[in-house]
Amino acid sequence: MNWPLAPILLPLLTALVTLFWGRSSLPRRWFVAVSATMQLVVALHLTADTVLGRTFVLGLGAWPAQFGIVLVVDLLSAIMLSLSALITLASVLYGYAETSVRLEHPLRATLTQFLVMGINLTFCTGDLFNLFVAFEIMLIASYALLTLEADDWDIKHAFPYVAINLFGSALFISACGLAYKLFGTLNFAEISLRAALLTGDFRLHLLALVLIVVFGIKAGLFPLYYWLPNSYPTLPIPTSALFAGMLTKVGVYVLLRMFATVLPHELTFAHTLLAWLAGATMVLAVMGAISRNFIRGILSFHILSQIGFMVLAIGFFTPLSLAACVFYIVHHIVVKSSLFLIGGVALRLNGTDDLDRMGNLWKHTPWLGLLFLFQALSLAGIPPLSGFWGKYLIVVVGLQEREYWLVGASILASILTLFSMLKIWNGAFWTVSNSVPLRTGDRRWVGMTTVVAGLTVVSLVIGFGAEGVLRIAMQAAERLCDQQGYAREVLAYLGKAGGNLSP
Amino acid sequence: MQLETALLIGVMFTVATYLVLQRSFVKILFGFLILTNAANFVVLAMSGRPDGKVAPVVLDPQSPMVDPLPQALILTAIVIGFGVAAYLVFLLYRLFLDQKTTNAAELYDEKESG
Repeated sequence: MNWPLAPILLPLLTALVTLFWGRSSLPRRWFVAVSATMQLVVALHLTADTVLGRTFVLGLGAWPAQFGIVLVVDLLSAIMLSLSALITLASVLYGYAETSVRLEHPLRATLTQFLVMGINLTFCTGDLFNLFVAFEIMLIASYALLTLEADDWDIKHAFPYVAINLFGSALFISACGLAYKLFGTLNFAEISLRAALLTGDFRLHLLALVLIVVFGIKAGLFPLYYWLPNSYPTLPIPTSALFAGMLTKVGVYVLLRMFATVLPHELTFAHTLLAWLAGATMVLAVMGAISRNFIRGILSFHILSQIGFMVLAIGFFTPLSLAACVFYIVHHIVVKSSLFLIGGVALRLNGTDDLDRMGNLWKHTPWLGLLFLFQALSLAGIPPLSGFWGKYLIVVVGLQEREYWLVGASILASILTLFSMLKIWNGAFWTVSNSVPLRTGDRRWVGMTTVVAGLTVVSLVIGFGAEGVLRIAMQAAERLCDQQGYAREVLAYLGKAGGNLSP
Repeated sequence: MQLETALLIGVMFTVATYLVLQRSFVKILFGFLILTNAANFVVLAMSGRPDGKVAPVVLDPQSPMVDPLPQALILTAIVIGFGVAAYLVFLLYRLFLDQKTTNAAELYDEKESG
């Protein structure tokens, strides 16, 4: 079955076609929208198939799995692919509603598709070096998007982002080298089998620590997150929603994959380190959010604080906490992106997203307020919205593990999240002031709000159908941890030679 | 060979870190170039001692070969590093055009930018 190739091939082809299509026009827009929809359909199809217990393994070049490059789509990968397709579609449609054809930068669609290709390759890849390549595709596209429509003030904030990611890439390639020396292979399945024999070797711990730094930079863990809150707000709104939803979560996904599927489960030191870094991230980032006074700045810090929750769940490292992590990722990607998009609508309506100079939104656009209320309360973790269930499970696991300080930190972070969401609510929606202009005459906000409404419905479905989503998350986490099963599935791929290696 | 390679990698990482932390754009650029190459050296060193081995081209099936995989890996990494370096040059040039400075400290001076 060649299906695992589709989530990579479709964005690549779309990017190439749009590159040569040139100027943006209505047919070009339709083409990208149809392609994004098709990507969503393919990803949902993969999810529907993998949820039944299948794992797709595709060897590129039809070499046996040990020697060639393999793409592996298991349930978690398929879930992540669906989320990335969903957010891309929302971002594309929102961009159409926001910008007229004439003003749209022609390269935005192209670069977005390259970015999606990198993200999807990260989710599908089955070996460490290919993961590096996927990261680089994603990063180069993200550098370009960050500077594409930047003015001279924005461009200053692109440089720290590029610099820290260059450093991360150098470290990543070194980690690939270390892993190759240690295991003699870079294939995830093979590594998981060989690493089991090396438990207790300090080099394995060293590798785990290097990987924490590499993916911690990408995810935005505590000492490594300073690049994020300044660079994300400079992006155009639809792109920033895509970045906020997907890019840091790619880091979390890779941490999950590495620690649950690839490396042995006995790396207690690394897990504890992850948990405490996550605790620090949650509290410090939410304090950063409180210190900011413009919507996109506050939301950027909240990305980091929420990353803390997900990584904390990885750090606890029990089957239930990993399921909670998967659930949290699903919830967070949808909610975070839609909050960025809502912030964008508010920015359009008020002409600014500085909370001191906003207001009147609740009075004139109650629907937007309602959407914000749902998503903001969900982010803070108010039942029965989607954010509550993930947080609840993480707290339960924390209490079981007797990590009272970390549980306390997570509850504190939730309360402060609620506080800073209320700050946005008070500043932008509740305040009634005559000096604030409200541009409801500009009808673009209706289309933009409709897109957000679609995402909100998805997030409400996750919240109210929590039991079903959780069951899928449990299954995903179970299969993620099943190293033997993963290795068996992947190494069963023998390619065209049928496992016969002699020429 | 292994010790010398390890020392070389150590020196390269040190120099790269030092340069990246400098203020001048040109030094930062060179720092990143050296950093990428130092990382490539790490991977190359993982193919083990090359003494008594032949290049990974099968002419004589009897003689031992150097492990070809790290070389294939850094070939990819070099190409990627080249692309990113080109991007970095343009980013720094654009920063220079916009901000009229090649000094990173001036660029992020809070008082000046307001």
